[in-house]
Amino acid sequence: MDRCRGRFTPLQHELGIAPARLSDNLKRMAASGLLQHLGPHERRHPALPEYVLTEHGLLLREAAQAQEQAEQQLGLGRLSAKAWSMPVLLALHYRHERFGQLAQALPPVTPRMLSARLDELSGLGAVDKLLDEQPRPAFVYRLQHRAEPPLRQLAGDFASII
Amino acid sequence: MFKPGVTVWYSVKSLQGSIAFYRDKLGFEVVFHDEEGGMAMVNTTTAGCIIGFSEAQEVVPSTSSTVFEVYDIEAARQALEQKGVTFLGDIETIPDMVKLATFIDPDGHSLMLSEELTPL
Repeated sequence: MDRCRGRFTPLQHELGIAPARLSDNLKRMAASGLLQHLGPHERRHPALPEYVLTEHGLLLREAAQAQEQAEQQLGLGRLSAKAWSMPVLLALHYRHERFGQLAQALPPVTPRMLSARLDELSGLGAVDKLLDEQPRPAFVYRLQHRAEPPLRQLAGDFASII
Repeated sequence: MFKPGVTVWYSVKSLQGSIAFYRDKLGFEVVFHDEEGGMAMVNTTTAGCIIGFSEAQEVVPSTSSTVFEVYDIEAARQALEQKGVTFLGDIETIPDMVKLATFIDPDGHSLMLSEELTPL
């Protein structure tokens, strides 16, 4: 948004997406209170921004940047492209270890989705799936050692943004 | 850096369409063109009088006219019409002052030709 100075055409070139899709996304973001759309009568010059981030939008951008940095440190690709991957990792950072605890910590995730994400993250080497015998046999999930520092950093960043 | 002049800016739907109109139909020279940024500027035939364009998602046709002085308004209108420029209505005359002909660019922004009848 900054690089494109809030204007539609540069944004479209930067993102390489169809105008209709960009327009749709911008409308949704404006409806969610992340962006303010300035109409033709509110812009005092044609080169001025058509969209500006609201305070809420600026906070979310900071959060997105923190998340992107954590993804880069994890080195497992764009995990946030799939819903719930990053929240699952964060919940594991906060020591929610059992399936039921994770489901409770992450409403409204469905058991099916949670199970799929845990399997994927385990397959990627971000999460260990271990059998805990006590008090009764059940699987527990833990962040792998190398995934801990980026998640600790991300949890700290989110806490400071909130 | 100061440079004397006047620039009129318009929001436009298509930079390519505007450049085609102002360069190819009106004969103005493109002096700045940023395709990625969706902005361009043309130099009119009057030194220092520039028109700028910036692509925008929503464009409201401007009703305030940029007026170009010509020697012979009938001949100028005819020449532009032959190039496909759309004029609105007939040539209007304000007695003892000017003759005016209104035309529009691809976004419907109002432009005018003016022939002075009596020196101000």
